[in-house]
Amino acid sequence: MATVEIKELHKSFGDMEILHGISFTIPDGAFVALVGPSGCGKSTILRLIAGLEEITSGEIYIGDIIINDVEPKNRNIAMVFQNYALYPHLTVAQNMGFSLKLLKKSKAEIDRAVQHTAEILGVNKLLHRLPKQLSGGQRQRVAMGRAIVRKPQVFLFDEPLSNLDAKLRVQMRAELKALHRRLATTTVYVTHDQIEAMTMADIVVVMRDGNVEQVGRPLELYDKPVNQFVAGFIGSPAMGFLPATTKVGSSEMVLSDGQVLSKPTCVALDGDYTIGLRPEHIRLGGDGASFKATIEASEQTGSETLLLARLADQEITILLRERFDTPIGDVHAFVIDPTAVQVFDSKTGARIET
Amino acid sequence: MSAKARARRTNFLLDVTLFVICILLLTPLILLIANGFKTPQEMLVWPPTLFPKDPTLENFHKVFTETPLLQWMLNSFLFALLSTVAIVATSALAGYIVGKFPFRAINIIFILFLATAIIPFEVYMIPLYFQVKALGLLNSVGGLLVGYLVMSFGIFLIRQNVIASIPDELLEAARIDGAGELWIFWYVVLPLLRGPLAALAVLAFFQAWTAFAWPIIVMTRKKSFTIEVGLANFQSAYTVDLSLLSAASAAVMVPSVLAFVLLRRNFVEGIAASGMKE
Ligand SMILES: Nc1ncnc2c1ncn2[C@@H]1O[C@H](COP(=O)(O)OP(=O)(O)OP(=O)(O)O)[C@@H](O)[C@H]1O
Ligand SMILES: [Mg+2]
Repeated sequence: MATVEIKELHKSFGDMEILHGISFTIPDGAFVALVGPSGCGKSTILRLIAGLEEITSGEIYIGDIIINDVEPKNRNIAMVFQNYALYPHLTVAQNMGFSLKLLKKSKAEIDRAVQHTAEILGVNKLLHRLPKQLSGGQRQRVAMGRAIVRKPQVFLFDEPLSNLDAKLRVQMRAELKALHRRLATTTVYVTHDQIEAMTMADIVVVMRDGNVEQVGRPLELYDKPVNQFVAGFIGSPAMGFLPATTKVGSSEMVLSDGQVLSKPTCVALDGDYTIGLRPEHIRLGGDGASFKATIEASEQTGSETLLLARLADQEITILLRERFDTPIGDVHAFVIDPTAVQVFDSKTGARIET
Repeated sequence: MSAKARARRTNFLLDVTLFVICILLLTPLILLIANGFKTPQEMLVWPPTLFPKDPTLENFHKVFTETPLLQWMLNSFLFALLSTVAIVATSALAGYIVGKFPFRAINIIFILFLATAIIPFEVYMIPLYFQVKALGLLNSVGGLLVGYLVMSFGIFLIRQNVIASIPDELLEAARIDGAGELWIFWYVVLPLLRGPLAALAVLAFFQAWTAFAWPIIVMTRKKSFTIEVGLANFQSAYTVDLSLLSAASAAVMVPSVLAFVLLRRNFVEGIAASGMKE
């Protein structure tokens, strides 16, 4: 087990710089999720930690050791790939024992470790099968087993669940989390699914275009995103954004169609802003400080109602924790708690503390 | 006519067509084998008889006693075997490297490999002959092998298979697991290439087994002939001893047919992979 520290990491492929100075620290035993849109450089960071790519500049520490020039096999890490990368010609047991065999462990020792790991993961009945004789979920478990068996200092996961169906994914999420609690090994987990990140990680690193946007605990990202990008990325369904203006001394934020929302608390806001409304913070409301929006689409899941509505020429999503049957095109009044409204600088996108 | 009846009729016609073609292909072979058992008189009968009236083993006896036929077969076999081993080894290694380590220099080398495929062997056969002669390798298996150690098609075939069926992650997983590059090649890559390598082996073996032009100029001593050269030797400038030639050819076919029966699947794969065979 070890901390992983990444300092000013740059990575270029040819002339293209993909990572523009990434820094963050992963505490010993923490489960860190790297999230961000496709192509932002998540896998690249993982591959740099693993030593599968050359570092262009910057440093990576595992424990106290700088590992820039250490061979992958000497970094004491284990990686689980999206496509599992099981050796097709080896049985489950051989796949799992592969790294131990390379470490020249005795056969008895390998058997014991493989058996033990297989029991943890519930694949001990499959030890003599070949990978092609396994289901997707079983392959996933074997791939994890192969990583666990050698007791590495750091686990690296690259979207390990993205090839599974939705139900299995939820189940594996819980199993992975339980496994981490049991082994307490430092884990870096790449995903583009923010729900996975929010539910599994102790710390989430949000990335965009080769930069770190924010590092924080899941709820911290939800409650206090540093900017509009993080606010829009974290939370599902996603936050809606509207332009609004206000003046010093006024208690109102004016939307582009003239409707007004109460100003969140007392900050001296003056000028043009972007406000963010979380779908789950909006409620149906008749009187008081309400705003009107036109329903464009509605989805009923039984317990909840998801509405797509038009407000001040922008589309916003509204999530009601109740049944609400409405024809498309109807106009309804909604309310939102002013303290739940987030305010962003309309030019830089930075969130303004309210 | 119902669709089913029509399908049955189509199938029947296909069967008949294929059967006829099959007979046409087999007749010369059957005739050849039959000729091996004929007396010289029956050889000249017109129309030729498909089954000898008075079968004799005289021709075979003569072939095996008067010419070193077995020696020739052995020469061919040794040559084909060594060539196969060399081609499989070089193709596996080179195909893997050009498939998985695509640096610019390696790509250029690969293009050079491919370029050699479009230069007919006959073009550089003579210069190669002089080099082999200068090395004192005439009449030796070593000299024969010089032109048959590497097969650019083999490298191409393995490269395509490496790219299609060995994902990078597999090699990366092995590197993280602590395997060295040679270890990865031997224990991960080679087992996964077993199918294409077997197909290539069959192809390489028969390429060498049926080679003619190169052996005939490199092997000048009767004892060191390969079988193809030996067979051609029956046909001197003035006469052709047909019955002896037939017997020798029939005897030579035995190992080929045997190999085909045993390796039929690899053989078909090899030909399908190359997409060519006369
Ligand atoms: N070997 C490479 N050569 C050139 N460019 C590369 C290479 N590997 C990755 N890239 C580029 O680097 C960028 C980041 O890629 P990376 O795979 O890290 O993205 P990602 O965040 O993992 O995306 P995804 O969620 O789709 O997996 C992409 O623009 C990609 O095109
Ligand atoms: Mg990726």
